[in-house]
Amino acid sequence: MDMPLRAADLCGNDLDGVIPNESELTAGVRIVPGRSYGFFTDTTLCIGCKACEVACKEWNNLPADHLGLTGDSYDNTGALSANTWRHVNFVEHGVRDDCGTPGQSGWLMMSDVCKHCHNAPCLEACPTGALFRTEFDTVVVQQDVCNGCGYCVPACPFGVIDVSTLDGKAHKCTLCYDRLKGGLEPACAKSCPTNSIQFGEVTELQQRARTRVNALHGAGVKTAYLYGVPDGPGATGGLEHLNAFFLLTAQPESYNLPRAPTRPANRVAPSLAAGLTTIAALAIAALSFLAPRKG
Amino acid sequence: MQSIEGVVVIVQEGRFQLFDDDGVAHFFVLGYYAAMEPEQLQSLLRHRVRVRYSDPPDVIGHQANRLLLLNAR
Repeated sequence: MDMPLRAADLCGNDLDGVIPNESELTAGVRIVPGRSYGFFTDTTLCIGCKACEVACKEWNNLPADHLGLTGDSYDNTGALSANTWRHVNFVEHGVRDDCGTPGQSGWLMMSDVCKHCHNAPCLEACPTGALFRTEFDTVVVQQDVCNGCGYCVPACPFGVIDVSTLDGKAHKCTLCYDRLKGGLEPACAKSCPTNSIQFGEVTELQQRARTRVNALHGAGVKTAYLYGVPDGPGATGGLEHLNAFFLLTAQPESYNLPRAPTRPANRVAPSLAAGLTTIAALAIAALSFLAPRKG
Repeated sequence: MQSIEGVVVIVQEGRFQLFDDDGVAHFFVLGYYAAMEPEQLQSLLRHRVRVRYSDPPDVIGHQANRLLLLNAR
């Protein structure tokens, strides 16, 4: 296997290259082109350490942004952006009644990321083909093709993709496309200390997630559900399923996720019909006004 | 506009890091008007370059506006 350029920069070990199929050791899955890969993020395991954010920025060489204090809980990153492809939401969720400390807040934490939708609206909106679907069923922006038109930004129902003010191009999570090509697990999943972010084949992850939901229900967490699996919340409006899906314990809106996201392409035909109907109605009105009247 | 010289050590899409002569790493994003595309950056890996840059607000990093190759490998 050819050594990726980034791996060649590493020093201080005795290996003459990357470990072949390292993801088998770290994530228990072999990365094979042609199969569908994604993330299962179990928010009940997230402790808000932000190791995923750091690992993402470290591997992808992304600059830190949103400097200063937001004044909005302990979350200082703020939101996903062109420079922040992983973002851990900190949601203060009322007062806990299951611990001894009076007034102790309950916290929801969720590591948000591009969902790599099965029917990706950003990809459909891109006029240059810069956004493409990879051999691993992920969605990636080709930086040399992107012209910075920004059509993908409003097309994304999750508000993930963003155009950078530094280079004028669209940026978002690549699901570590370069690492996948080298047989490596994505940096965020590899760095997660609680295994809240799990990487693997989407069908296997969906099965694992359903087992986890059943276990939580059995343990008394009746509010647990999956967001982004087929026929579930988050996979509505023609999206079918999300390759990066989540286990949540509160309403999607609590995590800044839309309850029923839709593909903008679904609205093209109704919009066109409404426009044509309006034109026809105005034409009829104009003709009736301008036509010579009898008598 | 500020300027710095060093060796390009990491390239990722349109972003790169440069080690100066004191061994300090500096982070750059290829700017709008750099007259260079991201795929051309890869060829500068481990080469000595001079970067003219500006400091955009609210980001820890520099915006590279002009790159000059100082030596060939």
